[in-house]
Amino acid sequence: MSDASDDRRRHRERWRRRLCLERQLHDGAALRISSMALRLGALDRDAPAPGALRRDIDALQDEVAAALEELRAVAGQIYPPLLHEAGLGPALRELVTARGADVALDVTADRAEPAVEGAVYFALVDCLESSPGPLAVRIRTEDGSASEEDVVVVVIEGADPVLAPSVLDEAGPLGGTVDVTSGSITARFPCA
Amino acid sequence: MRVALAEDGALFRQGLVMLLEAAGHEVVACVAGGDELVAALANDPVDVALLDIRMPPEPDGGLVTAERLRAAHPDMGLLFLSHYAESHYLVRILEIGTEKVGYRLKEKVGSVEVLSDTLSRIADGEIVIEPVLAKRLVERPRNDRKDVVARLSDRERDVLRLMAEGRSNGGIAGELYVSGKAVEKHIASIFDKLGLHGDASVHHRRVLAVLTYLRSQRGEN
Repeated sequence: MSDASDDRRRHRERWRRRLCLERQLHDGAALRISSMALRLGALDRDAPAPGALRRDIDALQDEVAAALEELRAVAGQIYPPLLHEAGLGPALRELVTARGADVALDVTADRAEPAVEGAVYFALVDCLESSPGPLAVRIRTEDGSASEEDVVVVVIEGADPVLAPSVLDEAGPLGGTVDVTSGSITARFPCA
Repeated sequence: MRVALAEDGALFRQGLVMLLEAAGHEVVACVAGGDELVAALANDPVDVALLDIRMPPEPDGGLVTAERLRAAHPDMGLLFLSHYAESHYLVRILEIGTEKVGYRLKEKVGSVEVLSDTLSRIADGEIVIEPVLAKRLVERPRNDRKDVVARLSDRERDVLRLMAEGRSNGGIAGELYVSGKAVEKHIASIFDKLGLHGDASVHHRRVLAVLTYLRSQRGEN
């Protein structure tokens, strides 16, 4: 096996590990903390009202909700669960809605492996964060021939060309490429 | 109220049973997955079934289980509890049913009052949506000229947000400190601007208004 394909294999493995980490957070810490909210609610029922204990319980519930909000933010940066469950279209639409970003999305790509979907998603997160103007994003799958793998092709219209290196940071390790033409960035993410 | 729940996390399941019982509800089934819940309720339906979205059968067992429960027991309320509040799941939930459904964050039903209020509104036929989701969807529309919601006034958008939370006209009037008549007028104008005419029932048009709105946010209009 060549060095380059060995690198790509290791990189894909790292994405799978990120996916597992998010799952671990959801099934472990997040669930444990959510169940504390319910137990506090049951305690609140039994506490004499109104009193210092009730106020303490309310304050603790607010803390619990804040901790969960922070965990959700961290999980979203590790690997958004919606991306794994529903794919690039739904995950990107959710992202655009949540940020109120001015982005026209046209996603026709088939589902791809976690590494490719993760790399495309986070490349676009970077572009969204750094683009003041409106963007138009098209994502499609280009079927490979018998000897070549499928490729997910992402065209970002309206993106500043200075963002190309950060897109390449995501596409490159998977063996992908990035081209810049006036007013748009085109990135290719090969599937395994 | 008679309730049943399916959730694959043992700790959360126990906490939920504790809170439901503290609120005076009867928990007739408490299981770890969707298939078990369908079996447990086959001959013994409840008022409201509480479902985790992300549980067996993977990946989103709560949704497939809800479809089966709705087909077998159309009058049973469905409350989805999740660690995430996302419009993608809301649209899927509203596709399963537009009456007697709810979608809330797990930690936000952490008091007897909120949990009981959520359950009774669902049992009464309402749609109950996590307020933070309804708010996020209505108040941050995309800067898109084709966006149907851009045609609504600020006040109409407030009314639509409260409709999206499943509030009745009376509830919306109380929240906005306006008369019931004023709310009706705003709703008629929302229906008009969203192109919801015809002989559909008012309830049906309310749901369609919310769905149209949500779909526009997802870029599907």
